[in-house]
Amino acid sequence: MKVRIIVVLALLSCYTVAWAQEETTQGYKPSSTQFMIRGYAHAGFEYQAVDGDARSTFLGSSFVPIFIFKPSDRLLFEAELGFFYNSRNEVEVSFEYADVSYIVNDYIILRMGKFMLPFGTFTERLHPAWINRLSNAPLGFGHGGIAPAAGTGVEVRGAIPVGSAKLLYYVYAVNGPRLNTGVDEPEEAGQLMFENLIDNNNNKAFGGRLGLLPFSNSSLELGASVYGGTVGDRNDSLYSNVGALLYAFDLSYVRQLSAVRGILDIKAQYNINNVDQATYFEEELDGSFTPYTFNNSSNASFAQLSYRPTMAGNDIVKNFELVGRYSNFQAPEGAEWEQQSTQWSFGINYWLSWRTVFKVNYQSTVQQGGHGVPAGETVTTNGLFVHWAMGF
Amino acid sequence: MKNLKTILVFALPLAVGLFLAASCVSTKVAMKSGAQLWGENCVRCHNTPSPAAYNDTDWETIGLHMRIRANLTAEETRKIVEFLQSAN
Ligand code: HEC
Repeated sequence: MKVRIIVVLALLSCYTVAWAQEETTQGYKPSSTQFMIRGYAHAGFEYQAVDGDARSTFLGSSFVPIFIFKPSDRLLFEAELGFFYNSRNEVEVSFEYADVSYIVNDYIILRMGKFMLPFGTFTERLHPAWINRLSNAPLGFGHGGIAPAAGTGVEVRGAIPVGSAKLLYYVYAVNGPRLNTGVDEPEEAGQLMFENLIDNNNNKAFGGRLGLLPFSNSSLELGASVYGGTVGDRNDSLYSNVGALLYAFDLSYVRQLSAVRGILDIKAQYNINNVDQATYFEEELDGSFTPYTFNNSSNASFAQLSYRPTMAGNDIVKNFELVGRYSNFQAPEGAEWEQQSTQWSFGINYWLSWRTVFKVNYQSTVQQGGHGVPAGETVTTNGLFVHWAMGF
Repeated sequence: MKNLKTILVFALPLAVGLFLAASCVSTKVAMKSGAQLWGENCVRCHNTPSPAAYNDTDWETIGLHMRIRANLTAEETRKIVEFLQSAN
């Protein structure tokens, strides 16, 4: 209820200010304080056949408002909420990020709060439904995946021209991930939980990314990220020393090429998570516990290619886009959540505006192990997704 | 401890890189127009918005938001925002 009231109030106040801003164009001087409500929404229809067993559903829209406040030319606050329906038909509100940035000088930007981590590029740049060319995140990158999303802490970032190239840097200290020891969710023992608003230990996690744009036209970007720290709880004698070290490598190439009469867009990322080995416990039917351990390394990767004939003569043809993506996820062998999955996705998109897209995707996933899949068996899921997404 | 070492391995080259980089000035970006920088940069993550999509004050806010989100340089941001404001 409280959340609803806050949102209604926020919306109302924005309309008033938007109206006031309107007037500024008719002769008033714009104020130095600015703010906007932006965001996105999406909805769709999904059909999936799990080893031939078909199910289909319409998906209620989700609504993701973003609040952007600019108190001065050097200060910016951004916050994102997400409203979704969960599988029990309840509305869930997520609080994705809320952070303040301060432009220290041409090369240094300081950020504090809960922000999306620049660990690779998918989370920070590509996940919103109106940016993602496909209807879902690659394997291992979505909610419950192994890719870190947001962190709470402080970050310094900046861009530096180096001749005709450009170097991007990001360094941050955050509360960091927490180890799931499996006490409450035995099937998730050894996984990392990424959203820690209050730290579970006094060790902060540190991370950073370096991005290099070697060409002056900024078409190519190569990035390397690292993120690590202690993940066990402070007072937990069994796990307090367990640490984790995560790496990611990313690539982005986007260019309008007259040879193909359109925009060629390539995006790829490879994530590797290494968590120190620890002992977890499996509850037997008689109530006793059996200790077990495993080499806790997992990885997730994707490579995506899309093409839009922006230079075609016909206005309708210009708005079509073709996309293909390969993604792969390997969870540790011996873990209760052990799995190996491979996925191919193909799609045809039609862009109704620069931020509104109608997507039709076909996707095939082959999964060994993991939720609902008996050990040693392979399950194939074929899906058809029809989604629309709109940024506003 | 192992983690700290690995982080240092990444942090040291970064620090050296920053020091060297800060002493160079990009000649290429300096020669480019706001329109060209808009065409090259704003398409890297999402479709390029047209200048008409927002008014002058909105472009200021979006310019700052994208400068931070996309880690654009100060000069790129200034030129792009000026272009968008002149062409909307
Ligand atoms: C590195 C990736 C990246 C680049 C490059 C980029 N954007 Fe964005 N842009 C984003 C993301 C991500 C969002 C969505 C923000 C969110 O949902 O939190 C966004 C949102 C926007 C929005 C919606 C309003 C807002 O501020 O959220 C506008 C307008 C926009 N971008 C314009 C631009 C322009 C103009 C440029 C070129 C200067 C640009 N973008 C370059 C990633 C990028």
